[in-house]
Amino acid sequence: MKKTECVAMLLAGGQGSRLGVLTQNVAKPAVPYGGKYRIIDFPLSNCANSGIDTVGVLTQYQPLELNDYIGSGKTWDLDRLEGGVHVLPPYQKSTGSDWYKGTANAIYQNIGFIERYDPEYVLVLSGDHIYKMDYSKMIKQHKATGSDCTIAVLNVTLEEAKRFGIMNANPDGTIYEFEEKPAQPKSTLASMGIYVFTWAKLKKYLCEDAEKEGSSNDFGKDVIPAMLAGGEKMYVFRFDDYWKDVGTVESLWDANLDLLNPNIDLNLADPGWKIYSKNEGLPPQYISADAKIENSLISEGCEVCGNVDFSILFSNVTVEKDAKVMYSLIMPGAKIESGATVKYAIVAENAVIKSGAVVGESPEECADLDAWGIAVIGDGLTVNKNATVSAKKMVTEDVKEGAKI
Amino acid sequence: MRNNNVLGIVFASVGDEKLGELTSRRSVASVPFGGRYRLIDFSLSNLVNAGISKVGLITKSNYQSLMDHVGSAKSWGLDRKNGGLHILPPYGRASSGVYVGQVDALYGIKHFLRRSTEQYAVICNSNVALNIDIADMIEKHIASGADVTVAYKHGDLPKNDGDIMSLTLKDGRVNRIMMYTEHKGECDYGLGITVISRVLLMSLVDKAVAANKTDFARDILMPNVENLVINGYEHKGVVAVMDSMQGYVGANMQLLAPSVRADLFNKERPVYTKVKDSMPTRYGIGANITNSLIADGCVIEGTVKNSILFRGVKVGKGACVENCIIMQGTEIGSGADLKYLTVDKEVKVGNNRSLCGSPSYYVYVNKGTTV
Repeated sequence: MKKTECVAMLLAGGQGSRLGVLTQNVAKPAVPYGGKYRIIDFPLSNCANSGIDTVGVLTQYQPLELNDYIGSGKTWDLDRLEGGVHVLPPYQKSTGSDWYKGTANAIYQNIGFIERYDPEYVLVLSGDHIYKMDYSKMIKQHKATGSDCTIAVLNVTLEEAKRFGIMNANPDGTIYEFEEKPAQPKSTLASMGIYVFTWAKLKKYLCEDAEKEGSSNDFGKDVIPAMLAGGEKMYVFRFDDYWKDVGTVESLWDANLDLLNPNIDLNLADPGWKIYSKNEGLPPQYISADAKIENSLISEGCEVCGNVDFSILFSNVTVEKDAKVMYSLIMPGAKIESGATVKYAIVAENAVIKSGAVVGESPEECADLDAWGIAVIGDGLTVNKNATVSAKKMVTEDVKEGAKI
Repeated sequence: MRNNNVLGIVFASVGDEKLGELTSRRSVASVPFGGRYRLIDFSLSNLVNAGISKVGLITKSNYQSLMDHVGSAKSWGLDRKNGGLHILPPYGRASSGVYVGQVDALYGIKHFLRRSTEQYAVICNSNVALNIDIADMIEKHIASGADVTVAYKHGDLPKNDGDIMSLTLKDGRVNRIMMYTEHKGECDYGLGITVISRVLLMSLVDKAVAANKTDFARDILMPNVENLVINGYEHKGVVAVMDSMQGYVGANMQLLAPSVRADLFNKERPVYTKVKDSMPTRYGIGANITNSLIADGCVIEGTVKNSILFRGVKVGKGACVENCIIMQGTEIGSGADLKYLTVDKEVKVGNNRSLCGSPSYYVYVNKGTTV
């Protein structure tokens, strides 16, 4: 096999438990985003656009939909003669079989895959974030500095810093300390979960980590601290464009509505850096004479006859006459019947909101602001006629006619 | 699915001359249609949805835009090791030139036909938008034991210069084919889709060429209604024949009716097209849309009424687009006012410009023009 300079390993096995019902049947990277994308489209498109053509996707939790979605990698132009995209689930070995115990363990179990390409560098990515990034610039810096590990960092506020893994770095960019969710942050450079490693070094540390009793086999908790302790050359790579973690219902909703905010710099229409997604062969959207649409993003196959304001309609969504959709995400195939109202909500794939039902509440309507939040309807569920779903409710089963939950 | 036992043959240029300026730089197969499609998407999707995995695409002239559109045929799943899409341009032999008719063209691809192993061939044109169940048509063809099966539609005969057959049938068999007729009222007319055994096709083409004949319907089917068993296959769904510029406008505009969309964009038989990866369409504050079909990648801040917008069209603030077909990448400045137009790709309409056609005559704005 020809030598490949850099192999990307995309960690896509996470459950994303904080997304609740939205990840009940799919892994987090397969969660829909932005009207026609799934979260994993971002790292995969970034790879393709950065010239990285060999990608291993590590899957574990609910991989069916994800495997189907990735397919041969055609979607991202990653169906290559050499390399391309490979789905890597845990597998049985002669010495026994194991689930991926942690992020580092997932890579450790696939050392064989990486070695096939004999790479200089390995890029480790996660499937949890919305951002556009040229990884080739990061690799270039990694090479120029002669670093063993380069970690992409984002400058966050001091308050936010308490929620992230924080890199304390010298002015020349070398990292001298790593703190996970510090109570008193010394710096505001948050790790984005994007690493470039010199493969020989990473392999050494992965093997050592695998031997270590009690290790959680995690990059942030184990491997990075071990490399720091071992005195390896570690640099930060500063990134200052749009980046958002979509780990919670609120952040997923926020990151979607960011697309409607003209002041937020996340341009998915940039012909020079396209975000690719799988296409279903759907007709254009139809907007009827009864519809009223403002400030929204609407995708292929939709039929809109009602009111849509400040919302995102994914492909194949139907909004019937006199239905109202406000500040909401309506995922593929969902149907909002006539006279139903959906506000401040996420309606997952193929859910049906029957006529007269009300899903979600605006913050103003909510008596207790602390109890306010985004209402979520799980995929394939039905909210029957005249039912009411209050703010922040996470609906995991059908809602009966007239019920108030 | 009878994978690999049926070969598809698509004519890219039959009917080129009827669409005036629309086909000045493209063949009829690559004429944009319905917001995100090219006409060839219907032929290719119909074939692919019938399980056909080998298609020969016969091009004649102006086919650069078509080549750009089909590329490696990934979008239709025709990037295959076995079969897939074969592009068959003219000048196949040193002595041959641009073909003069379908017979000549079929003779020009003799080598391709001979080397194919499929038992049947489905031949179709690209100047009709329809979603037809070709698998069913093939099944009926085989079950009936007919030599040839032609698809037809019952309705008003489209405008034609003798290139559309009208048929009379008895018990499913065609007993008369008429061409060059001034037909008034409804009749059964051919849709340019033919199922025939590959070997029979080759022998009929050879004979016709030997007799210096050029037209498939006129010179092969019409004189043979008695010698061959030619069956009809009625297509009851929507048919949009691109018989003129007006026909083209009407075919697009009828997509605003839900029943037409449901038929043409049948969920069981999707119409595939080249993927552009444009983002979903964005509606700004002050957008006002009624009764319109809009593709992805548009940014709309003005008024759009009774119109078809292709991918990546921009409508500025306060602009008004009414009863228009606006093709890919056209930008309409703020305050502009457009009515009854067919606007080709990548046109720029300046702020506050006004352009107006009439309901009976849509004015055509050429590709890349700045207004």
